[in-house]
Amino acid sequence: MNKLRTAGATLVVAAVTMGLAACAPGKKANADKGGSNSGSSSSQTLTIASTTDVVNLNPLVGNSRTDDWVTNLMYPRLLTINADGSKQPYLAKEWGYTDGGKTGYFVLRSDFKWSDGTPVTAKDVAYTLNTIKTQNPKGGVVNGFMTNMISAKAVSDTRVEISMKRPDSILVPEVGFWTVIVPAEQFGQHNPVDQFTNTSDWISAGPYKLTSIAKGQSYTLTRVTPYPMAPNGTPTVDKVVFKIYPDVNTEILALEKGDVDVIANALPPAQVSVLQKQSGITVEKVPGLGFTHMTYNMKRKPLDNVLVRQALAHAVDYDAIRKVAVQGQAISANSSPITPSLAEYADPSAKEYTFDPNLSKQLLQQAGVSNLKLNMIYSMQDPVVAAWASIVKSDAAKAGITINLEGMDRNTYLAKTTNGDYDIYAGSFAIMDEPVSNMALQYLPDGAINYSQVNDPKLTSLIEQAQATTDKTQIKSLVQQASTYVRDNVIDNIMYVQNLYVAHSSKWTGFVVKPSELLSILDPQSLANVTKTG
Amino acid sequence: MPPFAAFLLKRLGRALLTMWFAITVTFLLLRLLPGDPAVAVASTNMDASMRHELLKQYGLTQPLFTQYVKYLGQLLHGNLGQSFTQSQPVTDVLMSRLPWTLLLTGSALILTVLVGVPLGVIAATHAGRTVDRLVQTSGVIGQSLFVPSVGIFLLFVLGLQLKLLPIGGAYDENAYGLGWYASVLQHLVLPCVSLVLVSLGSYVLTMRATLIESLGEEYCLLAMSKGLSDRRVIWKHALRNALLPTTTLLGLQLGFMVGGAVLTETIFAYPGVGRAIYEAVTQLDYPVLQGAFVLLAGTVVVVNMITDLAYGLLDARVRTA
Repeated sequence: MNKLRTAGATLVVAAVTMGLAACAPGKKANADKGGSNSGSSSSQTLTIASTTDVVNLNPLVGNSRTDDWVTNLMYPRLLTINADGSKQPYLAKEWGYTDGGKTGYFVLRSDFKWSDGTPVTAKDVAYTLNTIKTQNPKGGVVNGFMTNMISAKAVSDTRVEISMKRPDSILVPEVGFWTVIVPAEQFGQHNPVDQFTNTSDWISAGPYKLTSIAKGQSYTLTRVTPYPMAPNGTPTVDKVVFKIYPDVNTEILALEKGDVDVIANALPPAQVSVLQKQSGITVEKVPGLGFTHMTYNMKRKPLDNVLVRQALAHAVDYDAIRKVAVQGQAISANSSPITPSLAEYADPSAKEYTFDPNLSKQLLQQAGVSNLKLNMIYSMQDPVVAAWASIVKSDAAKAGITINLEGMDRNTYLAKTTNGDYDIYAGSFAIMDEPVSNMALQYLPDGAINYSQVNDPKLTSLIEQAQATTDKTQIKSLVQQASTYVRDNVIDNIMYVQNLYVAHSSKWTGFVVKPSELLSILDPQSLANVTKTG
Repeated sequence: MPPFAAFLLKRLGRALLTMWFAITVTFLLLRLLPGDPAVAVASTNMDASMRHELLKQYGLTQPLFTQYVKYLGQLLHGNLGQSFTQSQPVTDVLMSRLPWTLLLTGSALILTVLVGVPLGVIAATHAGRTVDRLVQTSGVIGQSLFVPSVGIFLLFVLGLQLKLLPIGGAYDENAYGLGWYASVLQHLVLPCVSLVLVSLGSYVLTMRATLIESLGEEYCLLAMSKGLSDRRVIWKHALRNALLPTTTLLGLQLGFMVGGAVLTETIFAYPGVGRAIYEAVTQLDYPVLQGAFVLLAGTVVVVNMITDLAYGLLDARVRTA
């Protein structure tokens, strides 16, 4: 019996050891193997924490935020953005329209190379754009901007031209910013492209390249040279490691202990001031480029009545929401869909709706509406919105309006949003970088995010005119007219622009801060320039 | 047919039926969830036609019964399907995670038994005394513990303040050979202890109660009157019978631990199946969820079957019943 027990125990230990051996990494040399690593003598590793795991490393597919951060370091965008949403050169040094706005173009830099030594050319760009247009990889964001695109063509090694059905001021800037360029040689071997998992043999034209993966735990990238946007063409860090901590509290403990150098995801508002007080930790403010809003379902009565919508808009204490729920980490959007973040387009005369319950009551009386009862949906996964929903309810009660709060899980919320099954929708958009594009998506009758269900001929005409011209002055004028119309008619109630905060060890300096959580301090140009000082 | 073979066949039949039931319920429950996978993975730019195309790609536009029959057919061929979001076979997605969950829950289960049995025995043999009261109080407190609170507390004290153990992960990526196995053990300590702390209480209290009952049985009194030592009566006679309900509890606790692993793996950034489930729920990745539940249900069913067989070996009345 004892022998049997010993044999049993030995078997269990052997099984566990073998099971683990299957998970064990290979030899050290394998993990460090990188295509074009420089032989730097100083070895610096920047470890970045994220709460979301990598889902798919194919950058053409709709991804998690961490997928974006990792793939951004390997596949360049044509354009990048500034804090005010204005487009800046990246792989493309020039862009614009010819042929009366019916042809878009990008002129590329000639010094970008893939890590296998081949140059990044217009063929890669044309392949990427045409693949997105024709295959519409699942969940990808770019195809939505390509309605008027016919095809893209590499007219030389450094020039790509996009032929269009009609002039479209959205196409070039949006495609330029949102598209990451992939190597045609490698991705072209996979059809459909969204089945390509890209889990090995990576080729990078960014500052770093994936070299090893510990699924669910960490993703290691090593330096690639030359990278034209790094000092002397050499990114400053040898290795960048993304580590996954699904729980934000664990993630913060890891930063405090020094296990990680950066927290990539935006900190919960309550943690910002706590970490700001800690020595050895620097909290960086990342300008928001999106906004948080409430929309009123205009297909439902009495929300189709502008007076009712105005009554609702005046029954919210926006200042209290920003101070209490967002802990002072947001600025007023002046109730305009063109927020102050988009400085080039914003209308300085726009003013926020006042909090005036008596005015709300009067407006309801004028509309002939009494005993108004509405439901408001929001996602419980958005803790900030969940925090202010009760403020909205109690403020509305002061104006005699009953709001039934319906906080729900994200998937239910998305389903209700898609089906237009709500009176009031509360939520946020992360990046609203291009005014015309955003307005088209939000306020055209067939717009993908037309949550107010608006179908207003005047507004549609203003947006379509702005979309059809490439004259910047005209675009600005039309955008401002449209935003004023949206504000005055409460087609959307834009409440605030939330600034985001990320944290890093004070030992690291040189981060370049870009707007939004997507770019934040993890933009390739930032991570190609950071240095460890401590 | 020999009684034990019949007993075995009966248990096997029950296990298969349980698996079919688990598979069917999982399949239907997932499709009852609000929302659809296309919306969960989509960008905000997706219009209705794109959404329909995506659902078609996922095979979700077919009638429910067709989907179900197809799924059962796939399973019979050992195919768990293809992840919606990761474009990889579910088997690949889960097999890289399963060893970690088995290591975590297996270690926790073994540790629970190794600590729980002696504690239960000590409490039972000192019934009514201070030691017993202490064990009972700790047991009740243990039952009311919640993995996230215990986890964060342990991470804060042992990980951050005392720097004795790592914060998160399953191993050190820079460790190789034996050092790698050592790092695996180091990373295992905190999640395992958390799971043990929250599951130990019920085990100890059940052990204590059943052992006190056994010690009062006539066969124990007879053994004592025959002059056998207390130690021999407890460990050789009373404990064998007291182990029956605790063995059942152990089987049930595996299910509890597997469920608890979702939270434990999230708090401790442990890359197991629990984490994969958590991620798949947010993306409504049905194939991964179905696959994970099949794997976990299979594990629980197999362990419960082993428990039943052990029960049969421990008590002859069970296999002839």
